[in-house]
Amino acid sequence: MMDVGRHPRIKLLAYSEVEEVSGYVGNFKVKVRKKARYVDEEECTACGDCVEVCPVIRPDEYQMGLSSRRAIYIPFPQGVPSSYIINIEECLGVQPIACGKCAEKCDKGCIDFDMKDQIVELEVGTIIVAVGMEVYDPTPLDEYGYTRFENVITTLEFERLIDSGGPLEGHFARPTDGKMLKRIGFIQCVGSRAERRGNPYCSNICCMNTVKDSLLLRDHYPEIDITVFYLDMRAFGKGFEDLYKRSKDAGVRYVRGLPGEVKEDPQTRNLLVTVENTTACRLEEHELDMLVLSVGLEPREDSKTIQQLLSLSRTTDGFFLESHPKLKPVDTSTRGVFLAGCAEGPKDIKESVTQASAAAARAQIILNQDKIPIEAITPIIDYDLCNFCGRCARVCPYGAIVDVDPKRKVPPRVIEAACAGCGTCSAECPVGAITQRHFGDEQIFAQLEAMLGERPEEKIVVFACHWCSYAGGDMAGVSRLQYPPSARVIRTMCSGRTGERFILRAFTLGAPIVLVSGCHFADCHYINANRWTQRRVERLWDRLERASIRPERLQLEWISAAEGQKFARTMRELEEMRKKVTPEEIEYTKQVLAEKV
Amino acid sequence: MAEEAKFRCLRCGHEFIAPYDKDNPQERSCPKCKSNSVRRARER
Repeated sequence: MMDVGRHPRIKLLAYSEVEEVSGYVGNFKVKVRKKARYVDEEECTACGDCVEVCPVIRPDEYQMGLSSRRAIYIPFPQGVPSSYIINIEECLGVQPIACGKCAEKCDKGCIDFDMKDQIVELEVGTIIVAVGMEVYDPTPLDEYGYTRFENVITTLEFERLIDSGGPLEGHFARPTDGKMLKRIGFIQCVGSRAERRGNPYCSNICCMNTVKDSLLLRDHYPEIDITVFYLDMRAFGKGFEDLYKRSKDAGVRYVRGLPGEVKEDPQTRNLLVTVENTTACRLEEHELDMLVLSVGLEPREDSKTIQQLLSLSRTTDGFFLESHPKLKPVDTSTRGVFLAGCAEGPKDIKESVTQASAAAARAQIILNQDKIPIEAITPIIDYDLCNFCGRCARVCPYGAIVDVDPKRKVPPRVIEAACAGCGTCSAECPVGAITQRHFGDEQIFAQLEAMLGERPEEKIVVFACHWCSYAGGDMAGVSRLQYPPSARVIRTMCSGRTGERFILRAFTLGAPIVLVSGCHFADCHYINANRWTQRRVERLWDRLERASIRPERLQLEWISAAEGQKFARTMRELEEMRKKVTPEEIEYTKQVLAEKV
Repeated sequence: MAEEAKFRCLRCGHEFIAPYDKDNPQERSCPKCKSNSVRRARER
């Protein structure tokens, strides 16, 4: 951190918050609120004289509340810049000054009660999101007694207690009596791999963190008896299995099974842990001096704000979604924005460093270019047809369509560098004024006419998105899965491109069944474009029903690239539906839609 | 408490009730056949 702070080409804005991001790759404009520290960070030498006189005492967040700090403090010892901050919410008052002892004591006059927040505006080419994560709060898991028993602590609290820079200065002891302990237990998967209470995913780091802690304890305090309660130990990284074996060889006991109950002996404050040992098939009770809950990781609470600021996608777990898990693991759906560390998913330090290096390298590729090549799949606006309604700008997931003003009849303008080419604007334009390069209306119509030119009643028209559904069809093919040959697939970049015009044209040309398919909501490669697909299909179902056409003939399916089985199954089901569509029904549909479209 | 609505599967015809938020569309699937062709059943 010191290197970062001193680097001539790195501008570090600590104690700051990003408020607004506009622009696009190569041309981002970022508005940052640099919060008032009330201490001149250039002048402050961190001598600590001010701290001695501050009368306000608060729990120290860095020490997990196990020790205290003052209202004027350094958030953590290695913090950069090494300068104090006054927490203005906790200070006795600055306007008017109620105490002012810190200012009186500071010889260099670094304390400035009139300091105000500053808005810093930056112009940057790329952005790396490395906002980290939070840890799971085990309070809801009452059976472990975290809120009831003082000797039940979390892994982070354990880290502080055993750390030489912690509240006990490395003299490890249990919180209730400050005595050295003899027996300690660790419970794994606290808040992880739990569908109902906690998070459904594995937090990745907890198993090896416990193995490391057990070896640390064994090294410092060989007399302590260590027991780890686990579901299954996941030691999959390089050298991790060896470390796990070392821990077992060092006498750490691993019990397969998570405790069902923790009680406290009111006399000794010892903990009685009841667990079903699923290896030995017996119920066991363990008496421990201290219990450590190996808590999992969670996305940050403010992830949604960051998502909105940068037009990013998130997984159902709440972590930021990468552009492609294998080919673009640090890119995001917004070009020029990259991910590093636990913002993308739980990971250890090694993986975080690897990902951060990759993100920096990816960013550098863009920064070293004078011009940025874009794929020629951006929209073209026919200004003679445009009615300035602004719908295109509203549906664009990237904010790539700007300037449009329905009141002043200002037409839209496409920022091509910001456009990802989903085609939603084209599909949603009510007057057909927008078309997409290489996925133009005429090109799609030509495909429809070709595929439905002969015996259309035997065909099922499938609109599939490039990233997921089309790849799902490919997967079905390479897996040699059997599905009827009636499917005729039209590929678009995103299901958002599948406009009403295409679907109605397919029916007008005699298609018995039309399937619109795209990525699952959480996997959409264009942030949220497939939500517009769903809305559009819902509108069409209503429209078909009003025209006395069975809405069942228009089907919707979210199929991922890995779901070849689902693609094949869907096609088999649709083939059964196709057989039930009568020639009279097809003829009626053609007539009705020919009149209406 | 989220609003609930009645849905009908356009693949198998199964009807079911699920949370519904007009402003926040959710990915839906039929609990019976797992199809995503799920349409909100309108009151007549």
